[in-house]
Amino acid sequence: MNKIKFMLRVGFCMVGASIVLSAIASDDLTSDEEARVVQGSGKQLYYDHGCFACHGYNGIGKHNLANDVSAIMTSEAVYLAFIRARSELNPPLPSQKMPHYPASSLSDQQALDIYAYIKTFRDTPPKVDDAPALKAIVEAAQQ
Amino acid sequence: MTSKESGIVSGKTPSEAGVELEAERGGISRRGFIGASVAGGASTVLPAVAFGVENSVTETSRPASTPPDAKKMAREVGSSSPPEPLATVRRAASDLMVQVLRDLEIEYVALNPGSSFEGLQESLINYGERPNYMPEVISAMHEGAAVDMAHGYGRSEGKPMCALLQGTVGLQNASMAIYQAYHGHTPMIILAGNDENNFLKVHTGEDIAGLVRPYTKWDAQPKTLEDTLVALQEAYRQSITPPCAPTLVVLNSEIQKEEAGDLQVPRYSAPVVRSIGKSQATIIAKALLQAKNPHISVGRLRSQAGIDHAVTLAELVGASVDSMATFGPMSFPQRHPLVGVGQDKNYDFHLGLEIAAADVSITGPHLKSITDRDAAGIGFGWKENPNLKRRPIPDTLIAEDAEASLPLIINAIESQLTASLNSVIVERIEKHSEKNRSARISSLHKAIEKKRPGWHGTPVSLARMYAELWPMIKDLDWCLASPSNFTGRHHRELWDHDKPYSYLGQYPAAALGYCLGASAGAALAARSRDRIVINIQGDGDFNFMPGTVWSAVHHQLPMLTIMHNNRAWHMELMYVQYMAGVRGRGTDRAHIGTTFRDPYINYAKLAEGYGMKSEGPISDPDEMVAALQRGVDAVKRGEPYLIDVLTQPR
Repeated sequence: MNKIKFMLRVGFCMVGASIVLSAIASDDLTSDEEARVVQGSGKQLYYDHGCFACHGYNGIGKHNLANDVSAIMTSEAVYLAFIRARSELNPPLPSQKMPHYPASSLSDQQALDIYAYIKTFRDTPPKVDDAPALKAIVEAAQQ
Repeated sequence: MTSKESGIVSGKTPSEAGVELEAERGGISRRGFIGASVAGGASTVLPAVAFGVENSVTETSRPASTPPDAKKMAREVGSSSPPEPLATVRRAASDLMVQVLRDLEIEYVALNPGSSFEGLQESLINYGERPNYMPEVISAMHEGAAVDMAHGYGRSEGKPMCALLQGTVGLQNASMAIYQAYHGHTPMIILAGNDENNFLKVHTGEDIAGLVRPYTKWDAQPKTLEDTLVALQEAYRQSITPPCAPTLVVLNSEIQKEEAGDLQVPRYSAPVVRSIGKSQATIIAKALLQAKNPHISVGRLRSQAGIDHAVTLAELVGASVDSMATFGPMSFPQRHPLVGVGQDKNYDFHLGLEIAAADVSITGPHLKSITDRDAAGIGFGWKENPNLKRRPIPDTLIAEDAEASLPLIINAIESQLTASLNSVIVERIEKHSEKNRSARISSLHKAIEKKRPGWHGTPVSLARMYAELWPMIKDLDWCLASPSNFTGRHHRELWDHDKPYSYLGQYPAAALGYCLGASAGAALAARSRDRIVINIQGDGDFNFMPGTVWSAVHHQLPMLTIMHNNRAWHMELMYVQYMAGVRGRGTDRAHIGTTFRDPYINYAKLAEGYGMKSEGPISDPDEMVAALQRGVDAVKRGEPYLIDVLTQPR
């Protein structure tokens, strides 16, 4: 158990360090990322590896990814460190947490294809006044 | 092929058509018709002979046949004189059984037909001045569906309806649904026919109740009609007495057909539900009145009367209230002005009604207290894992029924309440109401911020589904019958749960297959009460017993089914993904055994096949909004409706 905790700590430290180092470097899609999106492999991998299960088909789900809201998506390095660092042995209960993705099951190239696809997610939620149902709910509650 | 060649006329079967044409022509004899049937044994041979088509059949091409003997002839044409009955039944025993159910105001008996209760079924459909009413027979496509219907009805109304099952096979088919109802503390009466003449030996047993005994509260296998009538009443009484649960009466097939003679239905006496004592009520009343800031938590009570008493109590003492109305049925109205944390979270007296509280918790007996029915020691859901931390049972608990105790507390308060105390309480109620209202508006705005993302996305966001539905139903009498734990529980913040049946709660045994049947059962209750039922239906659950769609159409149930079609057993998909990650073997095969792909299922077409109006699959949220309105309009007219919506996974 201590070993697992140690591995987790190391993983999160890597993530934290990567966030610090690369937050400033993050920017819009690079040409490489755009190329991968065009190829469509990221979209297919996002689907095949079940990312949609928690993050929705458009990056809106149990844990949102659209509009670059996730700190994990700050840079490729942070993202890679995060998905590689997750590890747990013999979890006592069935879990719906983020799975661990070792390089043996998802190569760096595949992971980055997914990363690039996620970067394309954009969501434009309406203002309450522009969504009749939400407006009606608020007005009814205020009566 | 012409219709004449095919033997099909006006949509009738060949044999039906043959008889009609024969009659029209005054043509061939009945015997000729029978002979052809015997010889050919198939519709392809029948038409040529039956229709008297010239030159179509020669003597040489006709298959060899022998004329039927007298016995066969009599069987084919139907005996002109019925056999002498062994005895004439003047007053059928099963009529009295129906009378007992009628007197108990059992509205429905859901059944899948069998061969051990034809006596009772005949009485249900034919007995009395208004046959097939109170109770009415409801056709279920599976015994599990019959019990699920009773489950949904029981949760909605707080009283039993019946499920009628066929011997060993029916009970075993229904066993999972009974197990779910047991863990739901849901009142219902299960009737199981047992064929004493072994018409089907494998459907019969010495003690068939033993199949489900560990997860029923009470059962009986009476040996006489008189005992059967008493047992039916006791089954009702036991079912509605806390802890409420399914009960079972095994009905002897032969007793149902007996002559009842002059036997009368025994007098029913209502159960006496245990409550706290008067002295305890006085102490609680005093504590509530002396408190500067009392708080009441309300769990699941048993009836509207209990809820009314809880409201009266809270208003009498000016207590802020926690409600469980967004978690399940029979709790305090969610939007009552006193519901919320109130003006101050520092409560100096906290009372729990069917829920744990800091100072006094009145919570009725739990089914765990019944320890003598699990002879094999299987445990059935009560086994505790010492490695998991559970909330401890509070030492403030009084194990008596809260609903039965409320009138005593109210009486004690009314006798202690003074004018000066009352003015303080009135002022406190105003402060609580104001604070709770502003908190409600604030929390609603926060909730809406979380519902907006993905609003325009496709597939459809579940938050939007719930949000769009609410303005369409909020002014109707509605019931959300479907568990919402797999659909985001968005109704909790967006909808108002002010009726005992506003939300019927989660899967009591966390097992799929319940939702459609339970929603149909809730819709049975709704049908005669000018109410509609909303069923936001998971696809995995739907596929257990989809035939219930036909039952909903056949019985014209006001049930709007909106498919949460995420094409997966999604929770399990995530479990497998996580485990694959733990083992480092990749998640790209986690869909195996957890998803509905290749092919996708079209639920609108499936519903259409059962005769239900339907539309979809819909993945565009704007199209969904229009479809929802059509669906609501349909169920308002009493017509069930299904909308297949392709949704985000959660």
